[in-house]
Amino acid sequence: MSIVKILGLDKVASFFNIIRQNGGIRGSLYKLYRQDELKDGTLVGEDKFGNKYFENPRYFYGRNRWVEYSDNYNMNYDGSQVPAEWFGWLHYKSDLPPHKDPARPNYPWMAEFTENLSGTTGQYTPYTTTRPKVEPWVPERKSTV
Amino acid sequence: MSLVKIFSVSSRVRAGGASSLVSRHVQYSTEAKTEKVYPPKEPGYMYVNAVDPNMTMKALSDRAAQTMFWTELARGFAVTLAHIFKEPATINYPFEKGPLSPRFRGEHALRRYPSGEERCIACKLCEAICPAQAITIEAEERQDGSRRTTRYDIDMTKCIYCGFCQEACPVDAIVEGPNFEFSTETHEELLYNKEKLLSNGDKWESEIASNIRADHLYR
Amino acid sequence: MLRQPLCRALALSSPARAVPLASRSYSNPVPAEPEKVEVFINDKPVYVAPGTTVLQAAAQVGVEIPRFCYHERLAVAGNCRMCLVEVERSPKPVAACAMPVMKGMRVKTDSDLTRKAREGVMEFLLVNHPLDCPICDQGGECDLQDQSMAFGSDRSRFTDVHFSGKRAVEDKDIGPLIKTIMTRCIHCTRCIRFASEVAGVDDFGTTGRGTDMQVGTYVEKMLLSELSGNVIDLCPVGALTSKPYSFAARPWETRRIDSVDVLDPLGSNIVVTTRTNEVLRILPRTNEEINEEWLSDKSRFACDGLKRQRLVTPMMTDSRGNLMPVDWEDAIVAAARALRDCPPNKLLAVAGDMADAESLVALKDLVNRLGSENTCTEQYFPLDGAGIDLRSSYLCNTKIANVEDADFVLLIGTNVRFEAPLLNARIRKAYVHKDTDVALIGPKVDLTYDYMHVGDSASVVKISPRGPEGSALLAYTQELACKLQDKLQDKEWKVLNVLQRTASQVAALDLGYQPGVGKALQDGPKVVYLLGADSGVVSRDQLPKDAFVIYQGHHGDAGAAMADVVLPGAAYTEKRATFVNAEGRAQQTLVAVAPPGMAREDWKIIRALSEVIGERLPYDNLDEVRDRLSEISPALVAYGDVQENNYFAQARALAQSLQKPVSGKLDVQLKHLEDFFMTDTISRASPTMAKCIQAVLKQKDSPY
Repeated sequence: MSIVKILGLDKVASFFNIIRQNGGIRGSLYKLYRQDELKDGTLVGEDKFGNKYFENPRYFYGRNRWVEYSDNYNMNYDGSQVPAEWFGWLHYKSDLPPHKDPARPNYPWMAEFTENLSGTTGQYTPYTTTRPKVEPWVPERKSTV
Repeated sequence: MSLVKIFSVSSRVRAGGASSLVSRHVQYSTEAKTEKVYPPKEPGYMYVNAVDPNMTMKALSDRAAQTMFWTELARGFAVTLAHIFKEPATINYPFEKGPLSPRFRGEHALRRYPSGEERCIACKLCEAICPAQAITIEAEERQDGSRRTTRYDIDMTKCIYCGFCQEACPVDAIVEGPNFEFSTETHEELLYNKEKLLSNGDKWESEIASNIRADHLYR
Repeated sequence: MLRQPLCRALALSSPARAVPLASRSYSNPVPAEPEKVEVFINDKPVYVAPGTTVLQAAAQVGVEIPRFCYHERLAVAGNCRMCLVEVERSPKPVAACAMPVMKGMRVKTDSDLTRKAREGVMEFLLVNHPLDCPICDQGGECDLQDQSMAFGSDRSRFTDVHFSGKRAVEDKDIGPLIKTIMTRCIHCTRCIRFASEVAGVDDFGTTGRGTDMQVGTYVEKMLLSELSGNVIDLCPVGALTSKPYSFAARPWETRRIDSVDVLDPLGSNIVVTTRTNEVLRILPRTNEEINEEWLSDKSRFACDGLKRQRLVTPMMTDSRGNLMPVDWEDAIVAAARALRDCPPNKLLAVAGDMADAESLVALKDLVNRLGSENTCTEQYFPLDGAGIDLRSSYLCNTKIANVEDADFVLLIGTNVRFEAPLLNARIRKAYVHKDTDVALIGPKVDLTYDYMHVGDSASVVKISPRGPEGSALLAYTQELACKLQDKLQDKEWKVLNVLQRTASQVAALDLGYQPGVGKALQDGPKVVYLLGADSGVVSRDQLPKDAFVIYQGHHGDAGAAMADVVLPGAAYTEKRATFVNAEGRAQQTLVAVAPPGMAREDWKIIRALSEVIGERLPYDNLDEVRDRLSEISPALVAYGDVQENNYFAQARALAQSLQKPVSGKLDVQLKHLEDFFMTDTISRASPTMAKCIQAVLKQKDSPY
C-alpha cells in the first residue's frame, strides 16, 4: 500500500480530476446543479440527440454507466430521452454500444425516436381505427335551399 | 469500561445471551430423557424473540452508563457521518439506470416484418389469453385479401404486464417492449390503439429485435 | 306412422294468388316392423333396427365415434376413414358410418387397434393440411382441430427433410358468399353431397385421384343456389368459409342468441352471433319442424343490411320539406297531433313485411281507439268468401315438416324455391327419397327438381271437369282441396295450404288487419301510419297532396323517404318480439343487440304515442302486451306450437258463391335467382346481397 493511498491523496487527486473533466469549477457547479453529482468516466458514445454516454467501472455495477443529457434539454431532461439503440447498453442488457453492434436492425420503416410526450401538444390521444358500426340513413334533400 | 466497549455494537444482546434461558428449561425437565430443549438447539434454528435482560450489577451499570452518556446517539451520528464519505448505494436516475433483463416486460408494441408489412394476422389468441381482458381486436379482410386487424386496442391501465400475449402470438407481432418510461398525465393516453402500438414498434424495433435475439436460445 | 298407406297432396301458393293441392289414392301394405338385432358396443348391449350403421348404434349408447364425411342428413360416403373401429372377428378395422350392424356384432371403439387406426388416419389428414389455424376462420369451431386433439397422436412424425412442402391447391371462385381455401380441404365430400342432394345443383364434384384429388366445380363456375351458405356449416375444416364473415371474429369471443328469422315466411330458427353490439353472422338453429339444420342464403347473409341505411334518430320534415333529425319529444308530439286531429275515416295504418305481433296489436288498438278500422297489411289476400275469417284459409295447414310425407304436391302460382327456400328443400327431399310427384300451375320456373307443368292459366285450377281474380281463385282452390280431401283415406291430412310471403302477414291477419290497402287508399286518407311498410304499395302519388305520413321502422327506404315524421324502430335482432310463421306457429325473437342510436322497440313507440294523444293503451310492459295478444288469439303466444285448423268445409261453403269464371295468367314475382336476394328493407340495404345479384348476372354471361 503506497503512502499516497494511506494518506488518502488518491482521493484528492481524483477529486481534482473530476473537477477538470467536468469543465472546471464553473462547469462542475453547473453539472452538480443539473445532475446532483459529479463523476469521471470515459465517453463511450453520443447519440443523434446529443446525449453523451459514459462508463467508469470504478463505480459499482448499476452506477458504472450513465448518460449526460444533451445541453439542449437544459433542466428538462427526462428518462425517456434515451433512444432505443442506447437503451440496452444503458440498462446493462448488452455490453455493446449500438455503433459496435452489427446485428442491430436498421430498416427503412423504423421511426425516429421520440421521448414521452405526455402533457405536451404532441401527446398521443386515443381515437378509433374502425369505421362506425352502423351507417345511418341520410334522407335525400328535396330542396337545396 | 473501555471506549471500545462503549462503541461496540449490540453489547446488550451479547450480555443477555441465550444460554441462561436454555439452562433454566433444562432444570425443569431433568428426568425426561427425550427432553425438549427450548429454544431448540438443532442447527438451523435461531431464537428470535426478545430475551430477558441480564440483571447482574455489571450489566445494570453498563446500561445506565449508556443511557446517561448518550452513547447511542453518538454512535448514530457517527454512522451518518461515515455515509457522507461513502459511495451512495442508490443510483442517480435518470442519469444512471438499473439493469434490465432482455425478458423485461414493458410497454407493448406491434412489430413488422423486415419488409415493413405488419406482422399481426388477427388470430386473436392474445385477446383470448389476456387475463385482464385488456386487448380488443377487430379484424376484416384487407384489400389484398390478407387477414389484418382494423382495431387493436390495449387498455394499458387494465394490463397486468403478464406477457401472456407475446407468448401466445404465433408470429411475434405483439411484444412487451423494454420501455417502462411511458407514464402519462391522463388516463386516456394509456388507451393505446393500433397506430400507437405500431409506432411503438417502429420506434423500438432496434431494442426489441436485440432482446429477442438475446433470448432466443432459451425458448 | 299411421298415415302410411295414404296419398297426400299439398299445394302452396303465393298469397296474392291462391293455393291448392291434390292427391291420388293408392295404398301400400304396411310393412311389418322388423325385429331388432342385438349388438355390443364396447361390450354394452344395444338393440337396434337392422340396417342401422355401427356409428348410429354407438351413438345410441352414448359412444361418439369421430367422423368427418358422415352427416346425418346426407348420403353415406365413407371416404374419410376417421370412423374406423375394430369389430371382433373382422381382420381389418371397418368404417363405422357405412357398416350396417349384424346380429351379435361386437364393436370396440376404444381398443388399441381402433386408436391406432384413428391416429394413422389423422396423421395422413394432417400431412397435407396446412398449419394455418391462426388465420383460418374455422379456428375454434373446427372438427379437425377438435378431433386431432381428442383422437390424434400426441407426437408428430412429419419431418419435411427435403423441404418439398405440403400439398397446395388453387382456390376456386365459387361466388360472393363462400370463400374457398382448397388447400385445407380433407375431401370429405360433404359439400358435394349437399349440393346435389339437398340444394339440387350438381355443380360440385371431385377431379383427380390420390394426392391429385380436388374438390371443385370442374369449370370456372359459381355455386349459385339459394341454400349455398349451408356448405359453410357442413365443411368440417376451413376449406369453405363465409366471405362476408371472413376474419371478423372467433367463436369464443362471440355471444350467441337464439332467435327467429323474418326474411321469409317460414320463421326459420336462427342463432344470432354478436360481439360488441354488432351482429356478426347468423347461423341456423336446428328445428326439425321448420328448417331442419339449413338456412337460406338471404336469411343467413342479409344480416349486414342491419348495419346500413338504419334510422337512428327521429326525423321530421322542416319548412322546406327536408327530413331533419329531431328529438323524440318533437317527433312524437307532431305525430300525435296529426293522429288526434285526423277524422277517423281518413286514418290509415299499413303494416309492412317485418312487423311483429306486439307492435301490430298496439297499432291496431291505437287506431281503433281513434275510431278507425283502417288497419291493413301490404300483402294482398282475398277477403271475399271465408276470407281471413277462418284461420285455415291463410295458413300452411299441413305443417312444413309433413310435406315430406306427401305423395303429390300441386303448386299454384308460386315459386317456392325463392319464396320459401327451405320448404322447397323439403319438397325436394320428398321428391328424392319418396318419389313424390310435383305439379305446378304458374309460370315455368326452376325448382331444382322435375315437376309436371300444368300451365300458367288460372283457369286450370277449375280442374278438368269444369278451374286470377284472387277471391275466385282461392274459392276454386278451396273447392279443389275439399274434393281431394274427401277422397283421402286419412281424414286428418289437410290438403289446402296457403303460403304467405312475409313474416308479418299471418300475425296481422290473426289480429284482424285487412290484407291489401286498395280500398282504404282510394278513400284518400289524411294521415297514413306506415309500420315498416316499404314495399311501395303505398306511395306519395296515390295519396292526397296534404296527406300526413308517419313512418315507423328500422330502415330508410321507400317508406321513410315519403314520410313527414320518421320514428326509428328496432329490427328483428334488436327486440323481443313475436312472429307467426306461414304454418301459424308463433315464435319469438330475442334481443341480440341494442337498437342503434335513439331507436326504440316498436310497441313502446306506439304506446308512448298513445299517451301523448290521450288514448293511453292499457299495457306498460311486454308481458301485458302479450296478455293482450292472447286475449285476441291464444295461438299468438303459444310459442313453438301450431294449432290445428279445420273448418275447410265451412270455408268452402262460404266460397261457393264466388265461383265465377276466372281467367288470366298466374305470375310470381321471384322467378330467377337474382330476384331472390333483395326482397325487403334489410336485404335491400345489404351489400352482400347486392354482390350476389351481380354474381348471378355475371354467371349468366359466362359460357358455362
